[in-house]
Amino acid sequence: MSGADEVIDPVTGAPAAIRYVNVVKTFGKQTVLDGLNLIIPRGKITVIIGRSGTGKSVTIKHVMGLLRPDKGQIWVGKDELTRMKDRDLRKVRTRFGIVFQDAALFDSMTVFENIAFPLVEHENLPYAKVKQKVEALIAQVGLHGANDKVPSQLSGGMRKRVGLARALVRDPEYILYDEPTTGLDPILTAAMDKLIRDTQDARPTLTSVIISHDMHAVLDIADKIAMMFEGKVAHEGSPEYFKKSMDPLVRQFLAGSLDGPMKV
Amino acid sequence: MRLRLIIQQMEFIGVQSLPIIMLSSAFTGAVFTLQSYQAFHMFSAESLVGGTVAVALTRELGPTLTGLLVAGRAGSAMAAEIGAMRVSEQIDALDAMGVDPINYLVKPRLIASIVMTPVLTAVFDLVGVLGSYTVAMGPLGMSYPAFMTNLKDWVDPYDINSGLFKALIFGVIIGAVSCYKGFYTKGGAVGVGKATTSSVVVSSVAILVSNFFIAYFLPAEA
Ligand SMILES: Nc1ncnc2c1ncn2[C@@H]1O[C@H](COP(=O)(O)OP(=O)(O)OP(=O)(O)O)[C@@H](O)[C@H]1O
Ligand SMILES: [Mg+2]
Repeated sequence: MSGADEVIDPVTGAPAAIRYVNVVKTFGKQTVLDGLNLIIPRGKITVIIGRSGTGKSVTIKHVMGLLRPDKGQIWVGKDELTRMKDRDLRKVRTRFGIVFQDAALFDSMTVFENIAFPLVEHENLPYAKVKQKVEALIAQVGLHGANDKVPSQLSGGMRKRVGLARALVRDPEYILYDEPTTGLDPILTAAMDKLIRDTQDARPTLTSVIISHDMHAVLDIADKIAMMFEGKVAHEGSPEYFKKSMDPLVRQFLAGSLDGPMKV
Repeated sequence: MRLRLIIQQMEFIGVQSLPIIMLSSAFTGAVFTLQSYQAFHMFSAESLVGGTVAVALTRELGPTLTGLLVAGRAGSAMAAEIGAMRVSEQIDALDAMGVDPINYLVKPRLIASIVMTPVLTAVFDLVGVLGSYTVAMGPLGMSYPAFMTNLKDWVDPYDINSGLFKALIFGVIIGAVSCYKGFYTKGGAVGVGKATTSSVVVSSVAILVSNFFIAYFLPAEA
């Protein structure tokens, strides 16, 4: 088996940036991933949907090596993660940006310091350059004037935008969003979705992966949708495929209905 | 080495603990002097007060009380801060950015606690003796030579050093226990509370127990 790039994603026709091959992950007696196969196409937005607790967060934590699988392989470009040492994994991680479910900002730092943190840690840039980069991003995510605020002074929507700016500051190859709009009001949700789409469109080589429960946005911004069920990808396709699908699982999830194959 | 982070923690553990250490030690020295004076007075041996208090402070009370105070003030804060970072995914975020959380969070705190506990103990010893001196000279009306002669004869560098050595071990205990409890916090705000409480309980008990064993194995004289 060689790198991810040589495989073409059947849904988008783009080359694979990330590939999960038969990944199994168990916590104690609970099997969360049960032979997961998934291709994340390069330069596109892939959205992962599925019930709470189906292992979406676990899936994206694997791709950064924050969790290690029991079986299977995970390819990121030409690298296979499961055989890597911790030190090499740390290097792979620096190619990623991640926006955490609850932003995970450092609460001992200001907005500016939070966003600058990855730059300060990994790149030897003069302060003027750091300032220029960070302020450009602050403007881009619409947080003018918030430089010196600390996370406890920000609203949920502002924090997520700081999280996004921090994830983007080193121009990552991949960006992962864990429920970027959960807990935001409808207006902020729309603004965040637009920000995600604009971020992708401004960077043709960026690969975005989003975990979302917000079906409306999913159908709007995704290039590819993968639906997880019982530790596997049950359905994958374009938004059109999902809109048209008559599969009971898909219909139930899109309609948010209590009747169907998924039981509460 | 993350010098800036180490200095920041030294400031927090050391400098910011100074008021509570100085206040506690002054009153410990004072009350100890009051009590021992009354006892020695019965045998007209008041001149033993200075030496007794100083030896007890440098060998036992200084390191032990400083250890307990640092565990309560700084250890609890370290466990709570790291614990809160764990449950709000800030530690995952460090990992995700390719920054080793052990290097970034644990090592600076551990080093600062190992360095500052002996320093604070030295302050405790000094201010404790000053407190004792103040009570002896003031309310008790002792003379300067009566207070000092025995003190100078009895306290030798070995007493001070063995006390500081204890403090160093206590610093290791406080730093290691608090960081460990914080780092492996589970279960939201409740978990942070539990980690904080248990870091103080475990370090305090470990300080008192290890104190006995160090005293047992360290020779009494140089
Ligand atoms: N570190 C862990 N240790 C033990 N079990 C875990 C761990 N991480 C996740 N799990 C379990 O794995 C399952 C999937 O968790 P995961 O967080 O991936 O769900 P999710 O699909 O992201 O759900 P949500 O939509 O609610 O965020 C859950 O049952 C969870 O309890
Ligand atoms: Mg999740």
